[in-house]
Amino acid sequence: MRALTWHGKQDVRVEEVPRPEVVNPTDAVIEVTATAICGSDLHLYHGRVPSMREGDVLGHEPMGRVVEVGEDVETLEEGDRVVVPFTISCGACWFCEHDLYSLCDNSNPNAELARETMGHSPAGLFGYSHMLGGYAGGQAEYLRVPYADVGPVKIESDLTDEQVLFLSDIFPTGHMAAENADIDENDTVAVWGCGPVGQFAIQSADLLGADRVVAIDRVPERLEMAREHGDAVTIDYEDEDVYDRLMDLTGGRGPDSCIDAVGTDAHGTGVVATSDRVKQRLLLEDDRPTVLREAIRCCRKGGTLSVPGVYVGRADNFPVGPLMNKGITVKTGQTHVQRYLGPLLDQIESGNIDPSFVVTHDEPLERGPELYETFNDKEDDCIKVVLRP
Amino acid sequence: MATLEPQNEAERHRDGTSSETGRLPGTLIRGGQLVVGTALVDYGRRQRSSRGTAATVGGGALIFSALGGMSRVKRALTDRTDSERATEPERRETAVRRSITVDGTPESLYEQWRDPETFAEIMGHFAEVTPVDEGRFRWTVHGPYGRDIGWETSVVVDEPGEICRWETPTDAVLPNEGAVRFEEAPGDRGTVVTLSVAFEPPGGTLGSAALEQFDIVPKKLVGVALDRFKSLVESGEVPTLDRNPSGRGSGDTV
Ligand SMILES: [Zn+2]
Ligand SMILES: [Zn+2]
Repeated sequence: MRALTWHGKQDVRVEEVPRPEVVNPTDAVIEVTATAICGSDLHLYHGRVPSMREGDVLGHEPMGRVVEVGEDVETLEEGDRVVVPFTISCGACWFCEHDLYSLCDNSNPNAELARETMGHSPAGLFGYSHMLGGYAGGQAEYLRVPYADVGPVKIESDLTDEQVLFLSDIFPTGHMAAENADIDENDTVAVWGCGPVGQFAIQSADLLGADRVVAIDRVPERLEMAREHGDAVTIDYEDEDVYDRLMDLTGGRGPDSCIDAVGTDAHGTGVVATSDRVKQRLLLEDDRPTVLREAIRCCRKGGTLSVPGVYVGRADNFPVGPLMNKGITVKTGQTHVQRYLGPLLDQIESGNIDPSFVVTHDEPLERGPELYETFNDKEDDCIKVVLRP
Repeated sequence: MATLEPQNEAERHRDGTSSETGRLPGTLIRGGQLVVGTALVDYGRRQRSSRGTAATVGGGALIFSALGGMSRVKRALTDRTDSERATEPERRETAVRRSITVDGTPESLYEQWRDPETFAEIMGHFAEVTPVDEGRFRWTVHGPYGRDIGWETSVVVDEPGEICRWETPTDAVLPNEGAVRFEEAPGDRGTVVTLSVAFEPPGGTLGSAALEQFDIVPKKLVGVALDRFKSLVESGEVPTLDRNPSGRGSGDTV
């Protein structure tokens, strides 16, 4: 089958690879009908994520039709239309039973590798490095889905692929980010990053009753989308000082909640950001915590910092003193996608939200490599790419 | 071997020269190291009388080349200081103990562990394990260039719901032993399963060479075996990258 494969820094190819099969009894194989490129795929694209191997199949935002099921699969059958969460979860361990699906104890075949680096292993993910499972991803014609009774959500209405596809990651991820932000009625919520996850976080913060949402980015069309679809106040960080503007907006208190929807590859400006980039190149630092630094500085005392943005390793100049002295609560983690599938599908079906508003590019899988580049360079007003295998 | 249950047995087998008495984590680690060291030196002593030269141990020329380091390693294991240790190349730990918490009662988990089919699957990443007869298993580890190393183990302690312990005969090519213990975890968290494995490297570095030659990393062996057991018990399967597609082909290792 054809698949998008990783071959190193800024090197993604369309390649012929073996077609996956049912291996374990709870597996299903789906024929992928739509699959998206995620902002976190750019961390792979930049070669930031350790334990990638040349030839790994990319992608963790897929949907499609079931073509094969293992003997123990009960809820799915051939022909079912499903969206597949990026988190692979067994559904039976202590973490899955406590709705902490992205921390599943059993789904990572390379748990030992993750444990060496992190102390414990989180769940396996599709197409996101060997430390996080090593599973082939969904930017391909077919995908093997382990624990098929736990992850995939069946789509029985006639919603289009673009309307439901983002249940796989970014819609639940933005939603969990807002939930983690502990939002109260009169709160101001600041969201760094107006990519797709940021857009959904803005919308969910609004749904959860925030008084005001402030969106921070530098890309005009993303800020425009935040104003238009999320009713947000926007800050272009290249034009104005983020701290000053946020203090203006909040009478000097600072936002009650801050959401970092950027993660490790923050663009950033100034001396420290440059130093981060140099250290990263010299392998002295894995992550550039530009947004974390700024969010901690801006956040209201006793406020909450929610981090859906992906980080991969260690970071320098992390303001641990301000974090501690300001009494800030930090909540983070990969999304417990399975927890949100039902409720968020209901939101889409009832017409409260149509997640397809983020789509700017809808193209055949073959154009994947050039669209990684377009998305990475934020050219052509690119916000979200959907690929059709 | 004295190395199996470091936390409990470290107290009993501790060398008289040790002045450590507390149960602080650091003390335990040092105690564990001391126990390993003592066991290896004890083994070396026994070996001189009962086993003859190291060459008979097996493994041939590749292992033999490591002979030169023997006395240094013995000294290192008994009385080396931190600074001495820092200047030596890292050695493979030969005795490892690790715990995992698994859903289920000690009784039911013990039963599953003792099922030969389950046991073979738990150890599948490391060795081919086939039952010989009640409580006896044949282990085969595949090394590079089609070379195999193998041994037989017999269960020597077997207390249903609590512990199972197995060992090789002392003249095995790579003597080793293992034990698994089941203890109730607090609250709703199931059972703490503790697996210990110890390899007695014949003549110190000789055995280490065998471990390296066959890429046997006891720490990994134990960690992965526990993961596999837990996954099998809790979700009914072991997660796998078997036939996983990539630009390298099909499967995980290609
Ligand atoms: Zn994603
Ligand atoms: Zn689980």
